[in-house]
Amino acid sequence: MIELLRRGALRDASHPAIVDDDRTTTYGELAAAAESAAAYLAGEGVERFGVLDYDAATVVSLLAAASRVGAEACLYPPIDDPGALADQAARFDHRLVVTHHDDVVGRVPCIDPAELFATPAGATAADLPATRPLLVLTTGTTGTPRGIRHDWQRLLRAAGRIEPAPEQRWLFCYGPHQFGGLQILIHVMAAGATLVAPAPRRPREGLAAMAAHGVTHVSATPTYWRFLLAEMRSAGNPVPDLRQVTLGGEAVPGPLLGELATTFPGANISQVYAASEFGSSGSVRDARDGLPLSVLERGDDADIVMKIVDDELWVRSRVGMIGYYGEENDDPDGWRATGDLVDIEGDRILFRGRSSDIINVGGVKVHPLPVENLISEVPGVKMARVYGRPNAMTGAIVAVEVVAEPNADTDELDTAIRDACADLVPASRPRSIRFVDEIATTGDKIVRRMT
Amino acid sequence: MAGSKRDAASTVRSFIARTKKRSKGIELDTSLYAEGIGLDSLEVAELSAVLEDELGSDPFSNGQMPETVGEIVAFYDDKPATSP
Repeated sequence: MIELLRRGALRDASHPAIVDDDRTTTYGELAAAAESAAAYLAGEGVERFGVLDYDAATVVSLLAAASRVGAEACLYPPIDDPGALADQAARFDHRLVVTHHDDVVGRVPCIDPAELFATPAGATAADLPATRPLLVLTTGTTGTPRGIRHDWQRLLRAAGRIEPAPEQRWLFCYGPHQFGGLQILIHVMAAGATLVAPAPRRPREGLAAMAAHGVTHVSATPTYWRFLLAEMRSAGNPVPDLRQVTLGGEAVPGPLLGELATTFPGANISQVYAASEFGSSGSVRDARDGLPLSVLERGDDADIVMKIVDDELWVRSRVGMIGYYGEENDDPDGWRATGDLVDIEGDRILFRGRSSDIINVGGVKVHPLPVENLISEVPGVKMARVYGRPNAMTGAIVAVEVVAEPNADTDELDTAIRDACADLVPASRPRSIRFVDEIATTGDKIVRRMT
Repeated sequence: MAGSKRDAASTVRSFIARTKKRSKGIELDTSLYAEGIGLDSLEVAELSAVLEDELGSDPFSNGQMPETVGEIVAFYDDKPATSP
């Protein structure tokens, strides 16, 4: 990460790297802050540390500092309960947490990031270390987060191929602790572009920031895009003139690509297939659902090579993780199952859902996504989430939570949804329909796992 | 508890009216299965979810296998009153 900031600063130290609600930070300022923090880490012999901070400029400088001296940084997800912070620090053996949140001071050894950035630079070795680890925590739909060990050398493999594009202004829609967020930080810094980072990172604030800061490029989860479109429609916002619309992190529901293409006629629409474990396989730019079949014929030199085994996508990645924290490591360059179930239709690989999301209805395996797409297209349905509901008779039944459009009659909608699903095999039909105010999400992704 | 008895019976009746398009000839001794209402296993699974949603619990999830409408109603009769 330090090499990206240095490159940006060398090109134009005064170019804005990060714009948030209060201030603009240039590439020169980020690089200088990173060198100072690196001097602190080297001087104190810090080998691993946690970070509880969501300010994009602070986080980028700390990541770059860590990558400068080979210390393992770990960005924490938001923690509601300060007591949970101590548990998390203990679980990952972090003896230092960089944070300016006063309420956690005293629970774990803390230091304010300002103190790191005030350290005089220059006390670090000239060369970058051979091993430069980074720990990414999974968002974890259930239970405690898992640590995923990466190395900057692997993460940045594709960054060298990114063309300089200082005129691009990217909206930051992810938390920096999310793998999707890390990918955006790397991409924007590698391009020498500008990151627009409003807080909090919700579609409403995103729309305001797009208008205020001339955003041209946006990468977000399909769920974020769906909320953003709904927000635009209900608030009557002017349509931002986007050049690039990118989706990643979860399967793309059928009608969404078309809606985005209609809403943003001047934008290229791409999808990114990526995961915390195997990294990013690059983007698919043809605005069609799924992946082209040609991804199965990539040469061995590709960052990510794919194959399909028993309807599941497998990958071999040169940009993926070293292994899980605290577990025996497999070969980082070996084949891994992705947990993504796929079908081949014509020249396309289509995603059917996560293997962990499959609903077993009396021995019949039901994929929630196609049912969810069918229900999402019923007039009057704003959003839907299909999941498995435990049942004494059949183990599970297909259940759906529906957010109705404001003026919809829910009794009529209930009937319309059942009619729309009448042609499905009996096990796939929703047996429980609940109308809710909002859909449960984790990290801006819909949770379909059985609870 | 007269209230839950009426609720259980009317919940079963409206479920059958929706799934089987049938509203007549449903008595307490009508069988839920083949020769009676003719619910299949998925419809029974659905009925158990509907009962749980509307009445807070259901006989199927409590290890029972009621054969008739009346046996479902009886399950709620036997239950001690609980505050909502």
